[in-house]
Parts: sequence; structure tokens; C-alpha cells
Amino acid sequence: MLGAFALGAVAALVLPLGAFVRRTALVFAAIGSACALALSVSVLRAGATWTGRWDNLLQPLGGVSLRLDSLGAFFLLIIGFTGLPASLFAIGYLKQIDRHMRSRATHTLFNVFLASMCMVTCADNGGTFLFAWEVMAVASYLLVISDPEQRDAPTAGLWYAVMTHAGFLALLAGFIILAQGGSWEFPALHSASTLLAPRARGAVFVLMAAAFGSKAGLVPLHVWLPRAHPAAPSHVSALMSAAMVNLGVYGLVRLVFDLLPPGPPWWGGLLLGIGVITALTGVLYCVAETHLKRVLAYSTVENLGLVFIGLGFALLMRGYGYGPLASMGLVAALLHTLNHAAFKCLLFLAAGSVVHRTRNVSMEMFGGLIKRMPATAMLSLVGTLALAGLPPLNGFPSEWLTFQVLVAGAQRTAPALAILLPLALAGVALVAGLAALSGVRLFGITFLALPRSTGAQHAQESTWMMVLAMAIPAVACVVLGVAPASVIPQLSRIASDLGQPTGPLSAGLALSVPLVASRMWAAMIAAVAVSAGVAAALVVRISGRDRPVRVGAAWNCGRIIQSARSEYTAAAFAEPLKRVFTGFYRPMQEVTVDVHPTSRYFVRSIRLRADLVPWMDEVVYGPLVRATRGVSDRMRQLHSGSIHFYLALLPGALLLLFVISRWIR
Amino acid sequence: MEAAFSRITMTAASAMLLLALVVLWRRHAGAYITAFRTQSIALAVTGAVVASYGGASELFFVSFMILVVKGWIVPSVLSGMDAKRQSARELRPLLNTETSLLVSGALAVAAYEISRPLAEVMNLPTRGGLPIALALVFVSLFIVVSRREVIAQIVGFLMLENGIALLALLGAYGVPLIVELGVFLDVLLGVLVMQAVVYQIHDTSAD
Amino acid sequence: MDPLMTDALVIAAQTAFLIVIAPAVVGYVRLIKARLQGRRGATIIQPYRELRKTFRKGMVIAESASWIFHVAPFAIVGATTAAASLAPVVSTVQPADLVGDLFVLAALLMLGTFFLALGGLDPGTAFGGMGSSREMTVAALTEPTIAIAVLTLALTTGSTSLGAITGTVLKTPAYAIGPGHALAFAAFLIALIAETGRLPVDNPSTHLELTMIHEAMILEYSGPYLALIEWAAAVRLTLLLTLAANLFLPWGMATSLVPAALTVGLCAIVVKLAILGMLLALLETRVAKLRLFRVPELLALSFTLALLGAASSFFTK
Repeated sequence: MLGAFALGAVAALVLPLGAFVRRTALVFAAIGSACALALSVSVLRAGATWTGRWDNLLQPLGGVSLRLDSLGAFFLLIIGFTGLPASLFAIGYLKQIDRHMRSRATHTLFNVFLASMCMVTCADNGGTFLFAWEVMAVASYLLVISDPEQRDAPTAGLWYAVMTHAGFLALLAGFIILAQGGSWEFPALHSASTLLAPRARGAVFVLMAAAFGSKAGLVPLHVWLPRAHPAAPSHVSALMSAAMVNLGVYGLVRLVFDLLPPGPPWWGGLLLGIGVITALTGVLYCVAETHLKRVLAYSTVENLGLVFIGLGFALLMRGYGYGPLASMGLVAALLHTLNHAAFKCLLFLAAGSVVHRTRNVSMEMFGGLIKRMPATAMLSLVGTLALAGLPPLNGFPSEWLTFQVLVAGAQRTAPALAILLPLALAGVALVAGLAALSGVRLFGITFLALPRSTGAQHAQESTWMMVLAMAIPAVACVVLGVAPASVIPQLSRIASDLGQPTGPLSAGLALSVPLVASRMWAAMIAAVAVSAGVAAALVVRISGRDRPVRVGAAWNCGRIIQSARSEYTAAAFAEPLKRVFTGFYRPMQEVTVDVHPTSRYFVRSIRLRADLVPWMDEVVYGPLVRATRGVSDRMRQLHSGSIHFYLALLPGALLLLFVISRWIR
Repeated sequence: MEAAFSRITMTAASAMLLLALVVLWRRHAGAYITAFRTQSIALAVTGAVVASYGGASELFFVSFMILVVKGWIVPSVLSGMDAKRQSARELRPLLNTETSLLVSGALAVAAYEISRPLAEVMNLPTRGGLPIALALVFVSLFIVVSRREVIAQIVGFLMLENGIALLALLGAYGVPLIVELGVFLDVLLGVLVMQAVVYQIHDTSAD
Repeated sequence: MDPLMTDALVIAAQTAFLIVIAPAVVGYVRLIKARLQGRRGATIIQPYRELRKTFRKGMVIAESASWIFHVAPFAIVGATTAAASLAPVVSTVQPADLVGDLFVLAALLMLGTFFLALGGLDPGTAFGGMGSSREMTVAALTEPTIAIAVLTLALTTGSTSLGAITGTVLKTPAYAIGPGHALAFAAFLIALIAETGRLPVDNPSTHLELTMIHEAMILEYSGPYLALIEWAAAVRLTLLLTLAANLFLPWGMATSLVPAALTVGLCAIVVKLAILGMLLALLETRVAKLRLFRVPELLALSFTLALLGAASSFFTK
């Protein structure tokens, strides 16, 4: 698996520029992803663990030691499963940069990125984990800034680099506290953590949860996500959204369920609260944005919020001692991670082909693409239905399971705790409803109606390879939606491997939650709905032999001319909702009136500028950025240019070292 | 018998809380006055029920006084005050309606949380209504704080009085008669002073 | 008889009942409204005649429309039928509990709304987009109310499955009925009005496009497509009224699949639908349509009621 990636990277560096290097590198990436998929499936199916240890590599970090248990295999499955379509998609998508020098770097980095993500899931050693984490961050940073046509790529890259490295430092600090000077192997950390004081455990939790949460996109550490994902090439965005953010989830699950012993309930409560806020923030901005990829990035934030609601609930229940509820929460979170990876990968790839073919990124410039790019539109419909969390696709079962575990929790726990769960439930329900709104908007404005720009008018369907690459996750969406119970036994096994045994959560083909006596048989629901629809269609067809059907202009309430200018736009679609949540959005509106110089009653032009500025960035990060600038300005004064000052620094430092070493002794 | 008693008092208390929500929802002063009148009638009914089941017969007199003073005299004074109001505009609060309703829901939940230990310790059959009475007090305070026009603030203050009276009724089957009479006198006097003086000063309290 | 066959028969019979009686419910509400307004009104079976007439007419398809326009009516019918198959109509013994619960039902109704909204956006008209945007906003804001109402029911009855809820409320009314139940009922009624597009949220008989929410999305539909969409809207209304009646006031429902009890259950649901329909017509005659930007206030009120109901259910446990 790693060998395939290595070959791909090397090939990209070595072979001459052209189509061949692109195909070779990406085919190796695809092969590597497939191997990862196969390996993880075999580990999950057989329940065995795969280990590997190389002490001579990376010696200062304690050697490379890898172990693939069921939890790691699950996340490796997600990586392989999204890497495969992304690689196949890129074969067609990156054709345009064949002649450029940067194609080498792009293909190499892509392979390195995939390889490092796989290594993160297998790492069994703090050093290996951090090394793979850092390689992943650097590779993705370089990929984010790789497209010179994106004007905001450098800024996006800067935000991303700073935040991921801040996370890295937090992880490092966490590992140092956890190890307490001993070995950094995960099994050793597991036993060493029981010796930590509760306050130290809390500190480790906060540090590492902040780092993993930032990678996963929790509010307010999510600000890099809506900047970096749109700037990166689409196949990289697909991987980042569908695979990399899940590694934040992986790290957190590994931390609290494996490395640390069971903690106090406030850990879970904190994650639950932040999860609700994240989900709401994500979906509200998702509905309001008009840049296609930024909409999808905010949708990622929303779905990761839902995952953390499940995780937070699980920790909360474990802290209060309700074991079965905790494991159900964990299973719900993992199921949603899988489902989200499937439909987000699909949607980013579809967005990539739309952006590529129409040469535009704003949803206000699309329209009518369903007739010009039929296959992409059909697959996007599948993805959008999944994003909206509607049956019979795969967004629904995990949402349903989250609802059920929250209701079960509210029923069975003490009233002091249980009063918070209805608020979480209401939050999840609102998020579900708004996700449906954003789904209608996303699909409807982008694909339906008339084209709003020449780019959309002259768009053509993508190559068959790109369509095939999109079809793979689409099939998975349908399968996971209609038969979610097929993956539940594996998820239950993962939960029990982590020490949280679950009761039976599936009965035959249906998901069932015995604690609240509710079941969901997705396949039957789909069957009933589809057969009713087909029956209606047959009735209409059979009875309409001599019914006149003609195609004409739209009635449009009696208007004669229908143009693209009179259609609803993406911003208009979200207008009623933006009015309801004005306090949250704080929209900026600027009206400039240009009057004739002689009299102000003769208006020459009026300009309206309405913008949606994420105020959270300014409020949370503005002071931080200004403080850093202030500090660095002060530091600059040290560079006074006087050579005596620089010479004086040397003995000064030496003196300081002596003093410190005396003090430590 | 006891179960019916506690159910009736709880229903009446819930009705009083819902009537307080009307002030947050509607924007018409007549609606506020009607809500307050209905709330006072509900309070009088609660007092009568507590009097008959709890065996505190002076509460019958208190309920009658509530009916007369808060159910008849004060609302007519308020209606007169409203008729003299200069501006016929819709009443617009400081917070918009959705946020006000959500905040009042959160206050009700907080009131439930706070009064839960108290309700567990009490063994009167009316203890189920105690959180509702406390919620009514919180919501009335919120009304006073978040409304712009004086008429709405006055209605909020009067509902606060109702809430405290309900709390006393459910928590301890009422306070001594002399205290009740004193409270009535204060309320009546306050309203009479307010209606005479307020609109001389200004129409709204924040302009 | 084979138990699987019996189950399938029960589900099919209940679904068929809802689908067949739906236009009659709409006709009944219109008749009561007409009488209250001093008119004579059409008979109850008038909607059937209208549907038959519409079904036979020819269709004009907008040239800017795509296959979504053609698929949407069938998707709406499919989703609404699947939702109707889950509802408890005459008996508390619900084999459909094995297929889905209240959350599934709400999600299926949202699926129907999703395709309706797409069908409104497809022809590229301004009013279609307006209707879709408004409808999805109202539907999204109704979701929390429904979720909390379901939670309140689940707290007092121990399950979110429809048959189990009706059965438990019927068996232990003293435990299940309380202020929480009543508040959840009020909240559910407001959510019903929002979901089915009745006054004061939306006027189903308006012809002013700027005031439309539901009607605006179907302006381009004609012929059998329109008939199917209208029928699905009627089924949705009947379904939600049945839920309001049976989940909160389940008296009269059969507790076993005995023919005598089933007949009593059938009469009970007809009577309950008649009463609820009359209340709906009364409300529609009494109130005016709310401005669109006041509708979220109404929905916030229903959410607060539901939240208070859930909170009080906790403390009467």
C-alpha cells in the first residue's frame, strides 16, 4: 500500500512531463487507495490486528511502529474509499496542467498526502503519529496553494498553515504531558495515563481536543476550512473534506476511548455543546454563501458538528455511567462519519467538474446545467439528497440514529442532565431542516432553470473517467442509505473493541434501537415510496394515450419573455432565512448614491453592496492577529543594526543558560 | 382527590404562564390588558381551589379581592391609560419576537432547574406548580426589561405581582391576610399613580 | 392467515383509507368554511370531481424544464404514500412500527417538500423560485417543533414508534395526559398548519402570486401532474390530522385486530377528523394570513410551547 504511493510519488518526480506522468502517478495513487481499502476491510472483517515495527527508521522519534486495529481500519477504509475516486477524477481533471512544471509537484504531493493520511491511522507511537500528522499538514498546505489562478490561495494557505501548526504544538504538548517522560508507544501511554492526576488529564484532553477539533473544523477553530477548501483543487478538497477532517475525529476517539481512562462528564458536555454550535454555525453559513465550494466547506463543518454531538453524548453518558447509551452514541458518530465521507466526496468532485466546465465558481453564474451535464447532475442529485439527510439515502440513517440516542438519553437519565438533551435535539432538528433547505438551493440554483452566464451556457459534460469517479461514491451513498444495517455490526465491534459493548442495533435489514423500541427499515421505506411513484407513473402513462402534451413557453404568470435575469438567485433563495437570523449573520449593506453635481434630486446611479462577512473571524481572531502584529513590531526594534548589541547578545545568552541550569538543578 | 387538586392547580398555573407569553408575542396593548385580566381570573380561581382543598378559608376572601382589584379595577384603569396614549403605532420591543420567545423558553427551563431541589423537599400536593410560578416570575421580569413602551412594562410588573402571589399560594397556601391586603393596596395605588403621571412625562421610556 | 400477510394487509388497508378519504377531508373543510362565511359551498365530493377533471386534461410543459419537472410529482406521491403507510389510523397494533417511527414520517414529508421545491425551481420562473424559497424556510423552521413534540410524547410513553405511543396513551391516560401533553398538542397543531400551508401561514385558495407559498411552486404544473400534486397535498393534510387525533386523543382506537373493534376504530377516526376539520375551518375563518416575516414568530411560539411541554414532562415523571 505504502509502496504503491511511494512509486507514484517517485514516478511523478522522475518521468518527463506530459500525460503519461499524470496517468502513472494517479494510477499508482488509485492502486494505493485500493490496497488501503482492501487492507482495512480485511482487518474489519476478520477482527485481527496488523502490526509492523521498524526501529531503525526515524530513530530520534522512537522508531516507526504501526498497528492497525479496528478503529484505525475504519478510518483507513474511509481514506482508501475516498482516495480512489479522487485519484480517478484527477486523471481527467488535471489534464489542463500537463505542460506546467507544477504538475510534477502536484502529483507527487498528492501521493505523499494520501500516504501520510494512511500512516496517521496506523500509527502506534506518538512520534510516528506526529510525524505523519506533520507530513500530512505540509503536503496539504502545498496542495492548497498550488493553483496560481486562485487569487485567495496564499491567504487561505496562511490561515491553514498557522492553525494546523498551532494544533501540532498543542498535540506535542499533550503527548509530552501524557508520556510523563516514559515511552511514547500508545499501549504504554494507555497504562501511563492512569497515573496522571485528574487535572493533568483534563489539560491533556483540552489541548489535544483543541488540536483535533481544529482539524475537524469545530467552531471557533474552523476558520481555515472555508478558506482552504475552496482554494485547493477539487480532488484535493474532496480528500480534505472527506478524509482529512475525519482524522480529527479519529484522533479524538483514540484519545478519549483508548489512551485516556474514562473522564468526568464535563468533557462530554463540552464537546456536545461545541458540536451543537458548530452544526448550527456551519449550516447557517452554508445556506447563505454563494461560492459553490465554500457552501460545501461549511456543510462539512455542519456535519462534523453532528459527529461531535454523537461523540460528546457518548462521553457524557460514559461519565455518568450509562454504558450502553455511550456506545450507541459512538456508533451513531462513526456511522455519520462514514456517510458524510461518501456524499461529501461525491459533491466536491461534482463541484470540481462544474467549476472546471463553466469556468466560474459562484453559484450565481450557474443554471441549466442539468441539460448540458446530465450525468453530473444526476449524481449531484444523489449527493444533494444525502446532504439534506433525506430517506432513502445515507444522510438519513445516521441522523435518525442520532435522534434516537438523544431521545433514549433524555428518557433514561436523571432530570438534571436530561434537560439539556432536548435543546441538543432541537438543534439537530433545526440543522436537519436547514440542511434540506441548503440542498434544494445547491442543486436547484446550480443545475436547474436557465443558464445565468455564458460559461454555464457552453458547459459540456465531463470525461467518462471523471463521471466514473463520481459514480463510485454515489453507489455507496445509495447502498449505505438503503441498507445501513450492513455496516452496523462492524461499528458495534469497533465500539466493543474500545471497551464499550453495544446491544444489538440492527435486526435483519432494519436499524433498531431497543431502548426506545423504534425501528427503521430503510429498504422497505424505499420500496414503498418507489413502487407508489412508479404505480402513479404507470397510471398516468396508461390513461394518457390520447392526452395532448406539448412543450411550450413557461406560463410565468402571463409574462411573454422568460430570461435568466428573472430567475431566483442563490442569495434570493436564502433571503427569508437570512431575515430570520439577522442577529447571527449581521449582514453588511452599503448603498452608494451618485447624484448629479448640480442638484441632488437627479440620481445618476445607485450601487448596492450586500456582503456576508463571517464576523466570528474578526471577533475571535482579530485581537489575536493584532496582538501578534504588535509583538512582532516590538521585536523588529531589536534589529537596530548596532553590532555591539548583537555581540552583547552572545554572552548574555550564555549567562542566561548558566542561571537556568543552576535553577533547574 | 389530591391528584385532581394538584392537576387543577398545575393547569391553572400553566395557563397563567402561557398568558404571560402572549405579551411577548402580540404587539397590541389591548391584548396585553386582556391577557392580564385573564391571568388574574386564573389566579383567583387557583386561590379559590387552594382555599377549598387546603382548608384556608381566608383565601376565599383573598380570591375575591384578586378578582375585583386585579380582574376588574386595574384592567379598566389600564384601558383608560391606553386610550389616552398619543401614538397609535404598533408596540415594538427591544428584542424581536422570536428571540424573546426563545429566551422565555430558556428562562422557563432555568426556573425548572432552579426550583427542582425545592420541589423535592416540599410535601404539599401543589409542589408541581412551583416551577411554573417561578418561571412566571422570571418571564415577567424579562418582559419588564425588554419592552420599550411603558404600558407593556406596567403589564409586565403586574404579571410579576401575579407570579409572586401564585408562588405564595402554591408554596405555602398563601401569606397572612393582612399582608395580602397591604399588597393589594400597594398595587392599586401604584397603578393609579402611574396612569396619572406616566404619560405626562413621555410616551416611551427609551427614545 | 400468515402473520406477514396480515401485517401487509393492515398497512395497505390503512394507507388506502387515508389516500381515498383525503379529498373528502379537503372538501369537508371547504364546505364548513363556506357555511361559516355565509355561502352554500360545494359538496364534500367536489374535490374528487375536480381531480378527475384535472387528471384528464392535457399538459403544457415549459421548455426550460428538465426531467426533474416530470419526476417530481411521482416522487411527491411516493414520499407521501410511504409516510401515510406509517400512520396509525384505526388500531394501536401497528405492524408499520417495524418499518419506521415518527422521525421517519417527518423525514418522508420533508422528502416530498424537497421534490416539490425542486419542481418549482425547474422551469426557471420567478414565482416558482419564490415559492420554493419560502416553503423550504417554513419547513426548516418547523422541524425543531416536531422533534420536541416527538420527544415529549416519547418521554411520557417510552417510545417514538407511532403504534406504541397510541397504545400507551390509551392504556394509561392518567400517566400520559398532563400539561406537557396538552402543550405538545398545541405545538403540533401550529406545526400542522405550517406544514400543510393553511391559514394563517399560507392561504390555500389565494390567487395573488405574491402571497403564495405552496401554490407558487405548482404554477407551471397542469393536467395529471397537477392532479397528483393536489392529491398528495390532501393526503398530507389528512395524514397530519390523523396523527394529531390519534397520537394525542387516541380514544376509540382498536387495541386488537378484531373486526368489531376495527369498525369502532374506523368510526372513531372519521368522527375525530370531522371535529378537527371543523376546528381548522373555524380557525381559518377567524384569522387573517400572517405576513411572511411574521411566520417565524408563530413558529418560535410553537417551539417554545413544545419546549415547555417537554420540560414539564420531565418534572411530572
